[in-house]
Amino acid sequence: MARTIFIALAAMPAFAIAAKPPADAALEHVNVSLVAESSALVPGTAAWVGLRLRHEAHWHTYWVNPGDAGLPTKLAWQLPPGYRAGEIAWPAPKRFDVGGLYNFGYDGEVLLPVRIDVPADAKPGSRAKFAVEAKWLVCHEECVPGKTALAITLPVAAHATKNPRFASLFATSFALAPQPATWTGVATLAGDRVIVELDGAGLPATAALQVFPVQPRVVGYAPPRTEARDDALVLIFAKSDYYTSPPQTFDLVLRPDDLHAFGVAVPFHADPSAASNR
Amino acid sequence: MKLRLMSLALLLLAAAVSAPALAVAIGEPAPDFTLTDSNGKTRSLSEYRGKVVVLEWNNPGCPFVHKHYESGNIPKQQAEATAAGVVWLTINSGADGKQGHVDGARANAFLAQYGAKPTAYLLDPNGKVGHLYGARTTPHMFVIDSAGTLRYMGGIDSIASTDKEDIAKATQYVPQALSEIKAGKTVSVTTSLPYGCGVKYDS
Repeated sequence: MARTIFIALAAMPAFAIAAKPPADAALEHVNVSLVAESSALVPGTAAWVGLRLRHEAHWHTYWVNPGDAGLPTKLAWQLPPGYRAGEIAWPAPKRFDVGGLYNFGYDGEVLLPVRIDVPADAKPGSRAKFAVEAKWLVCHEECVPGKTALAITLPVAAHATKNPRFASLFATSFALAPQPATWTGVATLAGDRVIVELDGAGLPATAALQVFPVQPRVVGYAPPRTEARDDALVLIFAKSDYYTSPPQTFDLVLRPDDLHAFGVAVPFHADPSAASNR
Repeated sequence: MKLRLMSLALLLLAAAVSAPALAVAIGEPAPDFTLTDSNGKTRSLSEYRGKVVVLEWNNPGCPFVHKHYESGNIPKQQAEATAAGVVWLTINSGADGKQGHVDGARANAFLAQYGAKPTAYLLDPNGKVGHLYGARTTPHMFVIDSAGTLRYMGGIDSIASTDKEDIAKATQYVPQALSEIKAGKTVSVTTSLPYGCGVKYDS
């Protein structure tokens, strides 16, 4: 099952960093490559690279919380000394209804961005190679695990310019990276339900709103009932069949449309009587 | 405090809305069912009252199922369990026409391929029993004690992956629960997150 693609990089131009497609046919149902946002690595700054996934029609891969089934895509990096890779900056996913089970993930084309901190003492004129082993599960009805080794090499330079070829891909993904919301809120366990109330300015309209729980084992994954009440937004979920203990905070991603996403973490009250005794 | 006041109103509202039927719960009676097995025989959970029963959701074409059959992990667990008098029911809730659906002959061929010997391979093509138990992945495991009480539900083990190399590093929850039940102990892990392919229910 392991398939390895080596991306040979011509010395220049620096923009020629995309995976060449030939080996793509070997990857089943999804085309996976490693791309960089900019032409060069600037010492002491953050550079963004990303795993680009182009799915065959009707196939999908998974978000950090895959939902009722599936597995999140995983990356394991090998970087030169002094470089550090962050976690995947997951863009807000879509919800897939698969025969009454719900999965969270991506179809079509998506970029999973990763921030790489470039050491301050990186030498302009040198080059740095980032290697990653990517693992994913791609499903339609059937599921196929995939694994590949990818690498890109980028020059270190005093200045970098955005790679026009991938600018919109990064921009789309960053737009759907959940922005920390300023709303206040609370989640309350009430019998078989978990009720989340959010309060504050700029709450999204309920019409097209999609909501995704980050932690597993808190709520069921069917879309919550959403209601606008006074100035608050109320989300009513079924409690997860696998709920055992309250999370420190309950983290949600709200996707009002295809251009924005918000992240909010609310305190979780497992005992509603504690709140009503006040 | 506005939020707290609203909470109260909402709790009342939530109580007024009929709660969704929760599938099954630890410490509660495991609901009875009747299905036809891969050899055409009718089997009911209630006929095994007095014995410990394991339910295993299966889809022969799922890579997570492959992981645990090709490695021998599930066949070994089945053999050890049935040798100890435990009933092991493998269940396929894949709908006709969906990936992973099998008829009796294909179910038997799958078992033969891996030398797997559950007590029976049950066919649930309309998903009735799968929905009754809230089975959502393959594999998805349930352990019922001799009194008919559900004692474990969740994943086959503690590492969600399709890699066979992970099996040795993972906690195998079903043998753990079975040995604890046999020793008269409390089951230490009663639930875990099931992982695998989604059960291919009719949509």
